[in-house]
Amino acid sequence: MTSALELAPRLTKASRQKSWDAHTAFDWPASLEPDSDWYMSPELISIYGTEAFDALSETEQKRLSFYEIVNFFSFVLYGERPLISGLMNRMYRKNTDGPITEYLHHFVDEENKHMIMFGEFCNRYAGKIYPEKKLVFPREYAVGEEDVAFFCKVLIVEELGDFYNLKMMSDRTIAPLVAKINKVHHVDEARHLAFGRKILQELAEQHCASWTEEETTRFQAWLVNYLVSSWGDFYNPAVYKDAGISDGYKLRKMALANETCVAFRTEASSKLVDYFLETELLNERPQF
Amino acid sequence: MDEKSIRDELRMWILDRAGAEADRLSGDDQPILDEGLLSSLDIVEFILFIESVREEEVDIEAIEPEVFDCIDTLIEAFFADAPSASEPQG
Ligand SMILES: [Fe+2]
Ligand SMILES: [Fe+2]
Repeated sequence: MTSALELAPRLTKASRQKSWDAHTAFDWPASLEPDSDWYMSPELISIYGTEAFDALSETEQKRLSFYEIVNFFSFVLYGERPLISGLMNRMYRKNTDGPITEYLHHFVDEENKHMIMFGEFCNRYAGKIYPEKKLVFPREYAVGEEDVAFFCKVLIVEELGDFYNLKMMSDRTIAPLVAKINKVHHVDEARHLAFGRKILQELAEQHCASWTEEETTRFQAWLVNYLVSSWGDFYNPAVYKDAGISDGYKLRKMALANETCVAFRTEASSKLVDYFLETELLNERPQF
Repeated sequence: MDEKSIRDELRMWILDRAGAEADRLSGDDQPILDEGLLSSLDIVEFILFIESVREEEVDIEAIEPEVFDCIDTLIEAFFADAPSASEPQG
């Protein structure tokens, strides 16, 4: 089986062949019409399949799809920020020096371009990036756990994001600019995901067996909690407010508990959960 | 909502989220994070709840993590303008 060390030079080569320029890759229209086009694919909208969604007119649904895509691009952008700094902190270490660090430079470069691309879209058409509401408090880690947890977070943001990218990049019903952004992101993410899955598997094999039962239980509880709460990003009360829907907080709570939405999240997470079970990072399926 | 009601709402939300008994948070100066009632991952949900109560967004860049120490610090940071229960409501 290929190791991360063997995979890295191939990914580096592909990154160089597929290199693109964030400042020239897109023709940005002067403005977009939130009420007259679809932006987020309708079936990916956070409250799709609920009575609340059906109660909206098509114009209102389209407006919601605009703010939903701005939200999606916003929290992916904010997910990429700590990802970049975490990758940089891992460069030129004893265990990453050489081909892995060489690939990490491309990984960071590509994430930086994604942030430019998402930031440009959000600021240009919505006049803002939805702020993230996260605070991270220091915690204690078992040996190797910080690295394992870091690459779990990377994989979660990238796998969930890619589920959406894949659906939207070939959706002809949505604004072509949005489809293209999803496509450009997906092409880079395919390499990041291949690398992330491999390196996380190796880190898990290296460290998890040495953890005490208590440390393993604590880690698994954290991972389930992190994965489940990552979905919270998709149900933003500020998005509902901007789309003209009253009591966004109540709508978020409704959607988080709604059966159709739960089934959607379970399905969209299944590839990720399968991976966590295969690598024994989890020992049971989380409830979404 | 007056300050007393907000304190009750915050306490109920925290205990419910933590699945903890009321005696884990009997005083408004009792630590929330150190007691393990809430973790980093609960804070996002908690901030959205606070926003819904005060009907105004929270500027995360303007706050220090210490505001989540206890209910007293939360009131000071997010609900400084709430009327006390004795004041007439208008
Ligand atoms: Fe990215
Ligand atoms: Fe990525």
